[in-house]
Amino acid sequence: MTQLLQYTITGLAVGMIYALIALGFALIWKSSRVANLALGQLVLISSWFTYGMLTQAKLPIWLGLIVTILFAIFLGWLIERFTLRPLIGQPALSLIAVTLGLAYFLEGLVTVIWPVSVAKLPALFPQEPVNIGTAVISQEYLWAAGVSLLLFAILSVFFKFHKMGIAMRATADDQLAIQACAVPITRIFSMSWIFACIVAAIGGVLVSSIGGITNALVETGFKSFSVVILGGMDSFLGCIIAGPIIGLCENVGAGYLTGIIGPGIKDLIPFVIIIIVMMIKPYGLFGEERIERI
Amino acid sequence: MSLPCGIRNYSYNTDTAIIRTRTQWVLFAAFLLLLFAMPLYIPRFGLDIINLIGITIIAVIGLNILVGYCGQLSIGHAGFMAVGAYTTAILTTTFGWPYFAALICSGISAGLIGLLFGMPSMRVKGFYLAITTIAAQFIIIWIINHWTDVTRGSIGMGVASASVGSFQFNSEIKQFYLITGITALCVLFATNLARGRAGRAFVAVRDNDLAAEVMGINVFSYKLLAFFLGCFFAGIAGSLFAQWRGNITAEDFTFSQSILYVGILIIGGLGTSIGPILGVGTMGLLLYWLLPVVLTPALEGMNIMPSGFSSGLGPMIFGTIMILSLVLEPRGLAHLWSLFKASYRLWPFSY
Repeated sequence: MTQLLQYTITGLAVGMIYALIALGFALIWKSSRVANLALGQLVLISSWFTYGMLTQAKLPIWLGLIVTILFAIFLGWLIERFTLRPLIGQPALSLIAVTLGLAYFLEGLVTVIWPVSVAKLPALFPQEPVNIGTAVISQEYLWAAGVSLLLFAILSVFFKFHKMGIAMRATADDQLAIQACAVPITRIFSMSWIFACIVAAIGGVLVSSIGGITNALVETGFKSFSVVILGGMDSFLGCIIAGPIIGLCENVGAGYLTGIIGPGIKDLIPFVIIIIVMMIKPYGLFGEERIERI
Repeated sequence: MSLPCGIRNYSYNTDTAIIRTRTQWVLFAAFLLLLFAMPLYIPRFGLDIINLIGITIIAVIGLNILVGYCGQLSIGHAGFMAVGAYTTAILTTTFGWPYFAALICSGISAGLIGLLFGMPSMRVKGFYLAITTIAAQFIIIWIINHWTDVTRGSIGMGVASASVGSFQFNSEIKQFYLITGITALCVLFATNLARGRAGRAFVAVRDNDLAAEVMGINVFSYKLLAFFLGCFFAGIAGSLFAQWRGNITAEDFTFSQSILYVGILIIGGLGTSIGPILGVGTMGLLLYWLLPVVLTPALEGMNIMPSGFSSGLGPMIFGTIMILSLVLEPRGLAHLWSLFKASYRLWPFSY
């Protein structure tokens, strides 16, 4: 029972981070119909950048994090401007492939700059474990979940009330109409990439402050894909609900199945969920079913 | 398809021939001669690279059927290769089958696994299908790593070189003839497939699957056929790789490998029969020869990079080329090649 509670709480907390990263995917997909397969690599490179700022350049933590956010903004702008914008109007296959190329490039770049494969961030959150009921939880998980929730709140206020947020929602709804309202649509695309990079960077810092930085961070991206698939690609609500579900399945499943099936089952669970969702309800829990006409 | 000046077709046979004019026959014969005489003028380590390129060509041809002609994006091709490689390893090493029987079985088993993961293509396409094939890649590799009774997990499996009766393909030169021969057969098969009924159905499905269905093409069965054939080729490539390398582990078939194949195909040109060959030719020379043999030692000599950087250099350069090729020439090297052909045919009166 204690174990179950522990798995549940860590699962939910980690799931919130996955949901945060998945939100970046949904943002880009909604505004520009680009499927960003470089999600894990964005997480990877911003975690390494944080490591570079905090440990190698020895900046104070608050300054290092601000520099990381600035870096994410710059990265998002750069990616959109030089890889995605020339491809506006190209078939979906090219758009997916260009993000694959980007993934390959970023992973190579990380290896070239930081050839060491394992590193640890300085502690961002208090370390001592807390007791919830009978379970003992490492405090970092709760902080990470809290930060994620806070970001969700900020982003939803932004999308609800800010002019840019409203324009971004309108773009997701109807691209032609928003162009007719004289909103430069390329700026919206740019903004969505910038936001995606920011949430990927924050998600990356949260994940790597708990588990350290390795190249396995790329797998966080795959876990976020399963969040996106389960929740439905064009739904923010889907992300927020599916994230904790994936985290829960992963942790509870890993906790109880490792003894039966063998170690490493944890990495497999998100992919099995993807296959199951594809077979049963391919557009996810909250996704819009696409109706095509000739 | 424009014909050279002054050439006419007088029968269906000449119309459907792949090689049409006497000049083409002469060039083709010269090419074959140069190709099969390669061991005479290429050093041994060069032959090694050529063999790897040959195997990669088979894999990318399979991917071309699936992605280039039928439009079903698969990012799990290395996983299907792994199925083929391990089928060969298990059949020849554990059960002692003759190699060529195992080769065919590897193709078929990879094809069947491909069918299984191609099932969702009935309902979804684009990104959804891509993510399913990514899942397929990871599930296959996970099973290989953890089903230790059969695959010996991370230790890997040893595979003997191919053999017919008592004749063994045990040197790099014999391997060259084996691999090049099978690659040539695969190229021929894929070229003819693309020109036939199935190939045209694939193109119709790629361009607009609803319209194809309205015209009476059974979309789902053709999609599955594309998955089967694409993965069949992957299985053949995996099987050749296993016996060429001699020892395989799951590490040989990573997700990066899958992305690499997609990238090579895009650089070469999607949906053309020459594209995979051009793509693998140029990128293979770059990644397997130029980078490790020439560029990395030069950069290491300059001492400006942190140690251990070299493993990231290949992905970085390849990713850049992939992005540039999509932005500048989405139709790939094959398109440049056809532009070149069109211009020299009319030279010097290009108007």
